[in-house]
Amino acid sequence: MEFLLENILNLIGFLVGLGIGVMSLIGFRNTGSPTLFRLSIAFFSISAGFCVIWVGFLVEDFILKSGSIERWVQTLGIAIQTVGYFFIAFSHSIKSFFPKTKYFRSVIIFPLFLVSSVQLEHLFRSVGFILLAYGAIETILSYFENKNKGAISVSVGLSLLALGEFLGWYSFVFPESILYSASLIIKIGGLIALFIPVSKVPLTKIKFDADFD
Amino acid sequence: MAEYRTHIKIIGDILSTTRDDLQDEDGASVTYLIRKANVSHSRISRILKTLVSQGLLEQVQCDGASKYKISQNGREFLQAYYKFTSFADNFGLNI
Repeated sequence: MEFLLENILNLIGFLVGLGIGVMSLIGFRNTGSPTLFRLSIAFFSISAGFCVIWVGFLVEDFILKSGSIERWVQTLGIAIQTVGYFFIAFSHSIKSFFPKTKYFRSVIIFPLFLVSSVQLEHLFRSVGFILLAYGAIETILSYFENKNKGAISVSVGLSLLALGEFLGWYSFVFPESILYSASLIIKIGGLIALFIPVSKVPLTKIKFDADFD
Repeated sequence: MAEYRTHIKIIGDILSTTRDDLQDEDGASVTYLIRKANVSHSRISRILKTLVSQGLLEQVQCDGASKYKISQNGREFLQAYYKFTSFADNFGLNI
């Protein structure tokens, strides 16, 4: 059951991320907007992250048949997704928190080699949760300013993804409980909520001012 | 407090003025655009130069003064601008 949910979640995540990423890229190429560029990086990263885990599950299912996905594949996928969540949060004006000096930039990644992939997964999930929660709060605040109903759906989507990340992280404490399956279902719901308003953006070329000329 | 406008939004405001809010059929003068788009003279001069070179605006000479009209490319850009403004609004962002 968990295996099936994982596959569904990762496939939906891959497709939704790719869809929104492509739409953002088209927007960037048409308008040159840096915001749309950041959004396209964000959603291509999210899509790639889900894709890595999905491929990991497929390889395990059809080739390795070991019964569980390689831990580092899951960690890598979640890390790539977290990069995407960072760019969503960054678009909401998060200032870069990376150190300015070359020395600190070079040593900051050392801790990542000193912890196991399970601890790294904890780290990425918790960072992902914070970034998603920040994005959800900023999006709902923007709704109060412009009353755009699509912002509610995106905010709900980001909130559900954040809750899913939190439950996924918390399920390490209770590994045999229903928490992990619940986190997968909640994340699927979040991805669908994220895609609803975006799917309503018309991408077909509309004849502009047809009777103007 | 005045709302912060991105560079793209200022371009959108200039283009929409030249499309929807023309003084006369010849086009909009620089002074008129400065007033409508609320941009300084030095900044609007640079933007207008870029928009003309990109083919989004057409520059016409009228009574010794330059006037600006939106081109077909400009209309298409404006259409994309509105579409993706709505797209970014869904994420609570400004393009």
